[in-house]
Amino acid sequence: MSTSTLSTRHVIARIGAGVLGGYAFVWGFIALGLAGFYAVGLPFHDAEALSNILGFLLFLVVFLWAFAASNLKRVWMILVGGGLLMTGIGALIQQSLL
Amino acid sequence: MFQNFRLSMAWLHTWFGLVLGFVLMAVFFFGALSVFDREIDRWAIPESRFEPQPMPSFDTLLKPVFEGMQPSKESIDFARDKVNGPMPERFDTIVTWGAYTTHRDPVLTIFAGYEVPNAKEPDVTVWGNRTIDPRTGVAFPDDQLKIGSGFFYPLHYSLHFHWANLGYWIVGFASLVMLAALVSGVVMHRKIFRELFTFRPKKSTQRSTLDLHNLTGVVALPFHFFFAFTGLVIFAGIYFPVSHTQMKPLHDQHEVIEAQETGLPHDRAGVPAPIASVDAMVVEAQRRWAERGMGGDVGFLTLRHVGDTNGYVSIYRAGTDRIALTGQGIHFKASTGEVLREDLPPTAVESINEFLTGLHLQHFRHWMLRWLYVLGGLAGCVCIATGFIFFVEKRKRQYAKEGSQNGRIVDALAVTTVTGMLLATLGILIANRLLPASLPFGWPGRGDLEEYFFWGTWVVAMAHAFLRSAPVVQGEINPAWREQCLALAVLAPVTVILNWVTTGDHLLKTLGEGYWPVAGLDLSILVGGVLALIAARHLRRREQGAPVQGATDFAGAGVQHG
Repeated sequence: MSTSTLSTRHVIARIGAGVLGGYAFVWGFIALGLAGFYAVGLPFHDAEALSNILGFLLFLVVFLWAFAASNLKRVWMILVGGGLLMTGIGALIQQSLL
Repeated sequence: MFQNFRLSMAWLHTWFGLVLGFVLMAVFFFGALSVFDREIDRWAIPESRFEPQPMPSFDTLLKPVFEGMQPSKESIDFARDKVNGPMPERFDTIVTWGAYTTHRDPVLTIFAGYEVPNAKEPDVTVWGNRTIDPRTGVAFPDDQLKIGSGFFYPLHYSLHFHWANLGYWIVGFASLVMLAALVSGVVMHRKIFRELFTFRPKKSTQRSTLDLHNLTGVVALPFHFFFAFTGLVIFAGIYFPVSHTQMKPLHDQHEVIEAQETGLPHDRAGVPAPIASVDAMVVEAQRRWAERGMGGDVGFLTLRHVGDTNGYVSIYRAGTDRIALTGQGIHFKASTGEVLREDLPPTAVESINEFLTGLHLQHFRHWMLRWLYVLGGLAGCVCIATGFIFFVEKRKRQYAKEGSQNGRIVDALAVTTVTGMLLATLGILIANRLLPASLPFGWPGRGDLEEYFFWGTWVVAMAHAFLRSAPVVQGEINPAWREQCLALAVLAPVTVILNWVTTGDHLLKTLGEGYWPVAGLDLSILVGGVLALIAARHLRRREQGAPVQGATDFAGAGVQHG
C-alpha cells in the first residue's frame, strides 16, 4: 500500500480519530451504559460487565469506521461529541441515583 | 481514507499489523506458554515437582503461616507516598487473608493485605505474598522465580513494563488492532472458504507465505477473535476504569447497599474477636455443595476483617469442572462459624462474563482443549510472522531498486521476534538450571538474574539479527534466520540435558513415571529443536540457491517451539 497519496498530517489525524476519538466515544458509552443499566434495575456489576463487553465491540466498529469514512471531520465530531454527550448523560443519571 | 472501503481496510491491516505485530508475537507466544504456566513452574522449581494438593487445613497449617506474614518491602515502598508520616514497623490490622489453588497446583500461593495507619485514602492496603508447600507449611524462597506463572504469564499481558501500567495499555491496544486486523483481513481477501484449503509451498516465497498467512489466520479465526476480545474484557477495569473514576460515587454507594443486602460487613467494627474453626466451615461448605449435587474442592478461601467481630470467611468452590474460575461462594461469620450467606446462582450477564473470561484463563480441567489453545496461539504466531515476511517479500524488489533500508529493518525485527524470542525463552530456562541455589551476598536475587538472562539473550539475538541483515537490501535472505535456528537446535537439547544433570529427571524417568509437567516441557523443547534444525537446513539450501522447496517452513517451524 503506498502512502504517497496521503499526507502525514492526514494519517495522524486518522489514527488520532480511531484511537483517541474511539476511546472517548467508548468511555461515554460505558459510563452511560453503567449508569443506565443500573438505573433500569440491573445489578451494579452486571451493568458494568455488560457495558464493558458491548463497549469493546463498539470500539472495534468505530475504530474501523474512523479509517473507512470519507469525511474525517465528521468522524472526529461524532466520536468526541458523542463521547462527551454520553459521558454527560451518564453523570446526570448518576447524580439522580445518589 | 481511500477511494473505497477495501483499500482503507488494506492500509489499516498492513501498517497497524506491522507495527503492533511485534507486540502481538510476544502476546501470542507467551500466551501459548501460559497455558502450561504451572507445569513450567515445576520444571523451573525442582523442589516443587510433586502431585497437586488440595487446600490444606486452615486451623492447623494456614493460620500459623498467615500470622507470621508481613507486607513485602516492595508493597510498603509503593504505598509510601500515600501515607502521612512514616510507615510503622509492624502492620497489625489485617484487611484480608487469602489462598487460591487449582487442580494443577502442588504449591499454594497465599496473600495477606494490611491496613496502613495514617493513609491519605481509607482503602490503601499493603500486601504480602508467599508460596508454601501445602503439606508442611514451609515457605519456598522468595527469590525463586516461577518462570511460567510468574514470568511468562505476566509477560503475556503486561510485557513486564510496569511504569504507569504502560505494558497493559500497549497489549490492550495491540488486542484492539488484532481484532481490527482480523476484520480487515477478511474484507481484503473475501474468499474465506477457499483460504482454508490453499497452501502452495512450492510457489514463490511471496505466494506461499501469503497462503500460510491466510490459512493460519482463517483456520483459527474464531480463536484469535475470542482471545483478543476476552483479553480486553478481562482487563476492562484497567482500560476503562469508569467505575473507579467517574462513577466512583455510584460504585461506593452500591458497595454499602450490597453490604446491607448480603449481610457481609463492609467495614471493621473495631471490636476484637477470635476466629472459630475455619476447617469446620469448609466441611459445612462442602456439605452444602454436595447437597446441590456438585461436591468439590475448595478453590479460593478468604478471610475479611481478620480478628474483628465483623470478620467473615468466604469459601469458594474450585471451578475444576466449570468454566468459571471459582463459584458457589458460602460466607461464614468468622467468630462463630454461622452461615451469613450463600451466593445466588449467577445472573445471565454474570454467566456471560464468567464464560468469556473463564474460557480465556482456562483453570478448569480439559487437557485436550489446553493443547488446542497452544496450537491456536502458535497459529497466531505463524500468521503474524508470515505477515512480516510477506511484507518484506512483496517490497524487496522495490526496496532493492531504491536502496531502501526499510525491508532490512522489518526483517531483522522479524528475526528478533521469531527466533530471538525463542532463544530468550531457552535462555531463561538454561539460566534457571545453571545458576547456583544461593548466590553471594550483595548479588541480585536468583529470579532477577534469570530475568536478566532472558532479556540479555533477546537483546543479543536482536543485535545479531541487525548485524547480519545487510543481504536483505539486495533482496537476499538474512543469514541470521538460519544461524538462530541452528542456535535453537543446539540449545534445545542442551536445556533438556541440563534439567537431567541438575535434577536427575531425565525423559525416560519422567515419561516412565508419567510426570507430564516436566516430561511435556522437555519433549516440547526437543520437538522445537528438531523443527529449528529442519528450518535451518531448508534455509541453507535456499541461501545456496537450490530450489525453494518448502521454503516458508522456517517461519512456522521456528514458532512451533514450546
